[in-house]
Amino acid sequence: MRRAVVGWVFAVATAGVLGVAVVDLPREGAALPHIARQAMTVALPDWRTTEPVSEVVYGTRTFDTFGETFLLLAAVVSVLLLARHRERRHDYFGEEEAGQEEQRYQNPGDEPVGPTERTARAADTREDDDAAANAGEASAGRPETPDAEPVGTAAPEAAQGMTVVVRVAIRWVLPVLAVAGGYLVVQGYSPGGGFPAGVVLVGVVLLVYAGFGYRRIARLVRPGPLEVLELIGALLVIVVLALGLALKGSFGANWLPLAPEQTFRSGGTMQAFSVAELIEVGTGLTIVIFSFLAIRHDWTPANPDAADSTQPGGDGEDSR
Amino acid sequence: MILVNYLVGVVVFALGVAVILTRRNLVKIVMGLSLIESSGYLLLLSAAYRRGSTAPVLLKPPGGQSEQDLARGNVADPVLQNVCLTAIVIGVAVTAVLLVTVVRIAQHYRTLDADRVRDLRG
Repeated sequence: MRRAVVGWVFAVATAGVLGVAVVDLPREGAALPHIARQAMTVALPDWRTTEPVSEVVYGTRTFDTFGETFLLLAAVVSVLLLARHRERRHDYFGEEEAGQEEQRYQNPGDEPVGPTERTARAADTREDDDAAANAGEASAGRPETPDAEPVGTAAPEAAQGMTVVVRVAIRWVLPVLAVAGGYLVVQGYSPGGGFPAGVVLVGVVLLVYAGFGYRRIARLVRPGPLEVLELIGALLVIVVLALGLALKGSFGANWLPLAPEQTFRSGGTMQAFSVAELIEVGTGLTIVIFSFLAIRHDWTPANPDAADSTQPGGDGEDSR
Repeated sequence: MILVNYLVGVVVFALGVAVILTRRNLVKIVMGLSLIESSGYLLLLSAAYRRGSTAPVLLKPPGGQSEQDLARGNVADPVLQNVCLTAIVIGVAVTAVLLVTVVRIAQHYRTLDADRVRDLRG
């Protein structure tokens, strides 16, 4: 196996070179580098914050964080562009029709499909009662919300919600998580800031989705409002940083009056930047995740015989 | 013994390189890239560590130390911790883009095998 040999030789060689290089890195006894000491001494007098990491993120390395924010935005835009083919754009979910259209275009004539494939497609149709609800149809005897399902029923695979245990646990955990996320961004002196807080809030959205189904958050998690919100976050970042340039003469300089440390407003523009970052990261990651969840059409094999074979679907079944 | 952390980081990095070079499954290649990213986080956080140091928070130095001690170096390096945060965000963004590319490749070529994704197929 030439690939394995070459790959492992190269990997071991990389490890050797890096290992030699790493021995000379500063160890645990080394003095703090100059830039770190500068960040520590600047945090309290200049920004009135007791949190040097946040100070470095939103103060000393403002421009870097600015670039990072827009790198994330670029990634969100790329994911959106790649994940959506030519669907109508009113929802993350419910793109199946567009996929079926494409499928029909790719294999015209609509050959008969095998039993495995039929089962899979039937399960897909059952699962897709969001689309049915949107179209105003009755959703196949399923209750409106998972909470309305009688306790103790054998949950079908297509069940929208989790069991009552999971749902109750999520109900208890959600407010705690949401408050923790808000706390991370609101308290400027606590370790955290916009990035972790945004990710925590994405976790809240995902928990609701996992426990209660998409319909519970469908009003919130839609491309329209989310994308607008994300761009508002990006715009806020630009405005906050550019006002520093306009008022104080340098990009990202603090132009807000400094409040006493360990209050909501301590840190000046750091806090504003952090909040803008929260909006940007929270909405951006939500958009990315739900775009992924929405990619689900077009997985049927092109060759209908492949669906009948006993092998599970995987690599290399296609004869082309 | 922070050198151990460094060396583990190097090993994880090399494992990621090996995964990328030896696997053919595109998802596994993306996972190899994630391994390389993780080695970067480990390296940065290890380099930020100082012996007997506290978290870089200026709230209250631990008993027997003054704030000057903190600034003089008895604290983890905040700059490297910040760089690690940056790396995590960029890693998430890159992984997301790669994964969606892999999904589209799989739908287009109907395979996840990197060796079969050679011919142009309009």
